Amino acid sequence: MLNLTGRPAVMVKAPFDTAITEICRKRPEVVVLSADLALYTDLFTVPRELPGQFVQVGVAEQNLMGVAGGLAKSGCIPVATTFAVYAVRRAYDHMVISMGTGPSRGVVVGFLPGILNPLRVHHQTLEDVAKLRSVPGACIIDPMDATELIDAVHASIDHPSLVYIRAERGMVPKLLNRGETAFAIGRVYPLRSEGDGGVGILSSGVATRWALEASVILQSRDIAHSILHVPSLKPCDTAAIAQFCAGRRLAITVENHSIIGGLGSLVAETLAGSSRHAPLVRMGIPDAWAPGGSVDHIRRQLSLDAESIARNIMELL
Amino acid sequence: MNAPGKCDIAELKETARKIRKTVIRMSIERGGFAGQGLALADVMAVLYRSELRLQNSPPDRLVLSVGHNAMAVYAALAEIGVYGHDELTSYSAEGSRIEQVPMEDTPGFEITNGSLGQGLSQAAGMALAHKRRSEDTRIVCLSSDGEIQEGSVWESVMFAAHYRLDNLVMIVDDNDMQVDGSTSDVMCVRPILPKFTAFGWNGAVVAGDDYEGLLRAFEQSRSSAGRPFVIVLQTELCAGVRSLARFSRRHFIRAPLSTWNLALRELDGGDIREALAAEREMPADDGLP
Repeated sequence: MLNLTGRPAVMVKAPFDTAITEICRKRPEVVVLSADLALYTDLFTVPRELPGQFVQVGVAEQNLMGVAGGLAKSGCIPVATTFAVYAVRRAYDHMVISMGTGPSRGVVVGFLPGILNPLRVHHQTLEDVAKLRSVPGACIIDPMDATELIDAVHASIDHPSLVYIRAERGMVPKLLNRGETAFAIGRVYPLRSEGDGGVGILSSGVATRWALEASVILQSRDIAHSILHVPSLKPCDTAAIAQFCAGRRLAITVENHSIIGGLGSLVAETLAGSSRHAPLVRMGIPDAWAPGGSVDHIRRQLSLDAESIARNIMELL
Repeated sequence: MNAPGKCDIAELKETARKIRKTVIRMSIERGGFAGQGLALADVMAVLYRSELRLQNSPPDRLVLSVGHNAMAVYAALAEIGVYGHDELTSYSAEGSRIEQVPMEDTPGFEITNGSLGQGLSQAAGMALAHKRRSEDTRIVCLSSDGEIQEGSVWESVMFAAHYRLDNLVMIVDDNDMQVDGSTSDVMCVRPILPKFTAFGWNGAVVAGDDYEGLLRAFEQSRSSAGRPFVIVLQTELCAGVRSLARFSRRHFIRAPLSTWNLALRELDGGDIREALAAEREMPADDGLP
């Protein structure tokens, strides 16, 4: 994996732990919750060093969201952590009703979204963005690397509504330097601009890394292309998306999510309201349960590896 | 700990009578979950006139977990001036903020209701927050025998015991009724108290109109060191209004004006014997909201 300047990306250990520890040390009203997955969601320091700002609920994701909602209604800012799949499947109603109707608010961090989990359907969530996008007021952030994850967690704390962050754990690549991209909820980020025509690639989350890998191959074949990174799926600067796509030969979305309801749908909905836009092709998890295994293996199975993405783009031209 | 306000039982009963009258007035235009509202009038009077220390800082809080029981809470809130009695008659009207099922931003209510099994979790979260800040604030959560069929309730029952939330009281309105019939028939939850004590709670079983028992149970809950406290409140829909007894198996009540007027007359101490005989001949509604 290369960073944006073409050098090998640094791997950063447990960026969520870094972010949430920084926040908890400064903000005593922030309380982090886990449903027996603290050790699997990079929640190491707060439980040990700031136990008064940690709540363990055991294997009980519905109660996780409910207790978080109660804390939110008592002067705390709750950050509920679990695997993405449990947040949006098992505890979805509780997240929306207990944490998402306002005026109180909270943050949910869903780890290992999409195909980042090696286990199949029961651990992978293909639909979390689709479900959250239709919740009024909800905010969805899909960070591309360790730096953006840290920035997203910081930005979520004072956001005035339910925030859902898709998160990676363990050793996470760092492509951006902190403070370099000025992450803000709602913004989009051009990562490569090569004219207004050619191919326009829109991506979010770890799929932005997949797009950058494919970009190396496209550059070697002299395929003109630009990349727009969309970490904030809601709210989102859709005017910037429409402008990015206008006049292009082809628009491609790449996402670690079902092609239904996520970034691909967001871009399609945006372009449907625009009079001048490129044909759109959505790349992501097809409407079928994904296989299990390593991320690289699953990507190859789903034609989401760099070679397949680049080849499919070239075949479309 | 600040003691709750003292109020003699005659005063509490008078408050309950007013709450019942308000519930009836709220039901006249568009019907309502009046059976539950009437059944809970006594405990609401005890809560809002005696047990909840609303002047505390931060004040004690009632978390309504069964949203359909909101009528009793609205009516009690009118007794302490949160709502005007006139406004409450817009209950369930389109555009009115007096909704059948309140939201978090509805004055006097703490959470968004309507999806069962979420109130106790939130009440426990509140109790934990206050406890960790060493605040003398108590949380009372109003639930029901039907609601505790939700599995998530038991996640929070376990949680409250684990965190030794002795500033948390749960009231289970045990009226043996739910939408599809008797709780005993639909999905039996009895015995209720032993389930809670097995999870590490303390508790008591009290008849819905037993004021001394209620006051005693709340008193016990304040000395339940290290354990949350459950009050299994045995009630009957429409309790306290004999002229509505024929609706006592109705989840939702819609009735002609004469029926509601008769109930009001009864609550004002009027003679209803003759009118009641005629009333009993009338068919009951289908009970659907």
